[in-house]
Amino acid sequence: MNWLAAQFGEGWSEYNAWELHWTSDVWGGTFAFLGVLIVLSLWFLWTSLARIRSPWKKTGLYALRAMTLLAVVAAILQPQLEFKKIQPLKNTLAVLLDDSKSMTIKTYPSEKSRSDGVRRALENNREYFERLKQTYEVDFFFASDKIEPVSMANAAAEYRAQAVNTNLHQVFLDVAQHYEGRSLQGILLFSDGADLTQEASGISPEFTETLTRLNGPVHTFQAGSNEGFKDLAIDKVDATDFGFIHQPLNISVSLSARSIGKKNIPLVLKEGDKILVSKIVSLKDDHLRYTADLQFTPTSLGKRIYTLSVPVFAGEAVEVNNRWSFEVKVIRDRVRVLHLNGRPSWDSRFLREVLANNPKVDLLSFFILRELADDVGASTSELSLIPFPSNLLISDYLNSFDLVIFHNFKFSPYIDKKNLANIKQYVEQGGAFLMIGGNLSFQSGGYDRTPVEDILPMRIGSGSREFLLGELQMGVQPKLAHHPVLRLENDPAQNAKAWKSLPPIQGANIGLTPVKGSHVLATIRKHKTDVPVLVTRRVKKGRTMAIATDSSWNWNFRRVGEGGSGRYYQKFWGNVIAWMTGEPETYPIQVETDKEKYREHEKVIIHFKVSRQDYNPVPGVEVDLVVKSLPQERERVRQTLTTDERGEGRFEFAPGREGFYSAQVSLTSGGEVLSGETRFIVFSPQVEFQKPLVNEALLKAVSKVTGGRYHFLEAGMKIENLPFPNPEVEIKSSSRMVSLWDSWWTYGLIVGFLTVEWWLRRKSGLS
Amino acid sequence: MRLNLFILTACLQAGILMPGSALALGDASKIAIPQIQYEGGNYQPRPHAVGSLLAQIAKRTSIEVNRKPLSLKPGDPRLYRYPFIYMGGRETFQPFSEKALKALRNHLTYGGFLLIDDNSSKPNSAFDASVRRLIRRLFPHIPLQRLPRDHSIFRSFYLINQVVGRVVNKPYLEGITTKGRTVLVYSANDLGGAWSKSKLGHWEYDIIGGGNRQRRLSLRLGVNIVLYALTLDYKKDMVHLPIILERLRRVNPR
Repeated sequence: MNWLAAQFGEGWSEYNAWELHWTSDVWGGTFAFLGVLIVLSLWFLWTSLARIRSPWKKTGLYALRAMTLLAVVAAILQPQLEFKKIQPLKNTLAVLLDDSKSMTIKTYPSEKSRSDGVRRALENNREYFERLKQTYEVDFFFASDKIEPVSMANAAAEYRAQAVNTNLHQVFLDVAQHYEGRSLQGILLFSDGADLTQEASGISPEFTETLTRLNGPVHTFQAGSNEGFKDLAIDKVDATDFGFIHQPLNISVSLSARSIGKKNIPLVLKEGDKILVSKIVSLKDDHLRYTADLQFTPTSLGKRIYTLSVPVFAGEAVEVNNRWSFEVKVIRDRVRVLHLNGRPSWDSRFLREVLANNPKVDLLSFFILRELADDVGASTSELSLIPFPSNLLISDYLNSFDLVIFHNFKFSPYIDKKNLANIKQYVEQGGAFLMIGGNLSFQSGGYDRTPVEDILPMRIGSGSREFLLGELQMGVQPKLAHHPVLRLENDPAQNAKAWKSLPPIQGANIGLTPVKGSHVLATIRKHKTDVPVLVTRRVKKGRTMAIATDSSWNWNFRRVGEGGSGRYYQKFWGNVIAWMTGEPETYPIQVETDKEKYREHEKVIIHFKVSRQDYNPVPGVEVDLVVKSLPQERERVRQTLTTDERGEGRFEFAPGREGFYSAQVSLTSGGEVLSGETRFIVFSPQVEFQKPLVNEALLKAVSKVTGGRYHFLEAGMKIENLPFPNPEVEIKSSSRMVSLWDSWWTYGLIVGFLTVEWWLRRKSGLS
Repeated sequence: MRLNLFILTACLQAGILMPGSALALGDASKIAIPQIQYEGGNYQPRPHAVGSLLAQIAKRTSIEVNRKPLSLKPGDPRLYRYPFIYMGGRETFQPFSEKALKALRNHLTYGGFLLIDDNSSKPNSAFDASVRRLIRRLFPHIPLQRLPRDHSIFRSFYLINQVVGRVVNKPYLEGITTKGRTVLVYSANDLGGAWSKSKLGHWEYDIIGGGNRQRRLSLRLGVNIVLYALTLDYKKDMVHLPIILERLRRVNPR
């Protein structure tokens, strides 16, 4: 071989093999055509040589023509000589270690997990793998629904059963792709066979086809067994992501029970430590799967975390699947508003229109259309008027409203004075109360020294029965410009401009003094003093507001007449409703995460913005951030952080393990604690426990299809005598091509043969 | 001393010591109804009609009214201080300018209400023709339609099952309804004639046909129209329906 390479000069001696290549560019039909042409040509030549007597000449001429044709064909087929350097290579074996969560399931009576069995097998058979390495390349992989390479030295130490899904078919597809073009001669698979994509009875045709394409055998090692397997599990919970407050929510629960026996077990739904609902599920000996439907009513707004649980019985293989937590975002379906109007007016007409057209509002209006002194000139049956159901509204059903509005409404004689205490109690317990001005409100409504005055944001001065008239331009207090009620535009400068663009009001209740702790959002200027018009207050759990005018409708209708629109009027009332009903976006401390759901070990970014009760940002202040895991309320992180110049801050948190978490930011200011909270989920799917049983049939089938052997992985098992093919494998480390046809001597040979043939024919008397 | 105290009390009651403030509700918060002052024809053939209606409203309902007569041209920007406007007449009037039409259309679309009243007492009068031309220009895509019997106008205060005026040319009201709200009502029955009272308190125009009952019904209808403009579909809220339907059954068993 070296001799042939040496003929091409220096630098060719390194090659130890050669190979002749023909072109692949020529079409197959061309070969057929050339073949026919050559045969016909030679046949015609042979018949044309009939006059030549000498057999030597005849043969010579014939040979020359044949040689010419062969040289032409060779030129067409473009032969090339490849010199190669070939080296022998080791075959490869792959060791697959199932690291899915199902490998954490214990086997009885040893109470060792399946993964423990695999880890021990790796340690006990280290020598065997070392021996294998002398003959083969041995690669180790963690396998679940994908493969992840790991060194043999670290395989046992780094082995953790935490992958969330098992798909052995996908694993073998990945292996085939990984070893494409390489000599894989066998696989060792350590697994429980609990493959979520395969049936317990065997193997799918697609998986079989993938296995048959592999070169070597797959020897399977079954980790764990089903002997004594006992498990009660919540397999699935069907619940909507969101629900409405005070409205029943249905959930459907799927359970499975293996070897638990005939028992009645309680299925309990809790929020924190509070039991919301429970149901008895009757387990039977011959029954595996059960379903149960539960109904509960959320009573708090926001992201709520509920936990379903069934008892854990002694000897259960999996305990984590006896509990299932889920999150429901509880929202208001509609804000229920009670709107009591002392008399029909344009102010009440435009407000009613805004409320009635707001899809988030469920409105109940009452207008006092007739007073006792009015002479309607008709019998009751000719009137559409109904008695004002004061007892029903102010006593029985008051708590069913989210917001109560007294719109230029004098309570007497419609509401008993003693029932005004109900309104105070309603607010203190979390309700919202708004009094809108007019000559039937505040002082004129007789609210001084009543429980309603106690909760109003303004004190009603005695004897100050006044109503200021005229075109009064209302001004927003710059110090409270961040208040959500005042937010007509997001940009502060635009917002200030928006307020200035509103037409003046035409009257205001005066003689009202803001109480301590209230926020005067807007005033009118009269006699060099600021008269409060929009005032808010928090009263224990509730909120109150006073709008000391009955002409806010000017911001709608009159503004249209001035070339504007009623957009700001609608926005203003949207803001009032949102703030009064305590929508989460009106909390002074806003906490949010960059996502709602995180995978295990994913970084959580918590962002917060801190404002005071007056919604002014609080820069450079220390706040406490506490991250707790739910529902146990176990504190995971406590940090003191400082807000930046915009009153904002950020914190990164690595939750690590799956679960529900809350992040709470709180600020203590002047003895008052403000706080905001958000919740997030760190999830790790538990689908692995939906098919927790060892699938012996699958492992056996995998071995059988590939010609491998199935083994049960016993404690202390020594692996030996596993057959693997070991064909010779060579690798071409370098090569060089030499063209044999596109050279002068190839064409010279053709011309030479033709010339000699021509000369001989002439000599033989042929043309 | 006693005299001084009396003077002080009187001054306080009159608000003399508190300039710019008042004990009573100001005129701006009271319900006032301006009349449209159009070109051509007499725009005010029943000059006391609106004032008389407002007086009846004040007498019969809790609504506070401002009876001061007020007339505004159709394009007057002050129209936007008065969501309810009245337009009466008995003759042909000049077509409104495009600017006035646009202002009136905006007024009605964004919350206003217009009551048109044919005071001619004649069916298919010249005023009627002018009104229909005006409405076609005002709302070219919305037809003027009869208000159904269950419209809130007929139950906003009184339960009404008969549409009348000083005359009964058409026993129904017509209207323009957009986005669920009736913004314009047209009566061909001279409601203003039935409402009008002189300053001395006498009815100014005789009722043709139905006597006092017809006047009473006309006044009730006027009250209901104003109440509807102020409360919209309030009487269709579920809380009212059972009682109203029961009373309607009693009044009209059919």
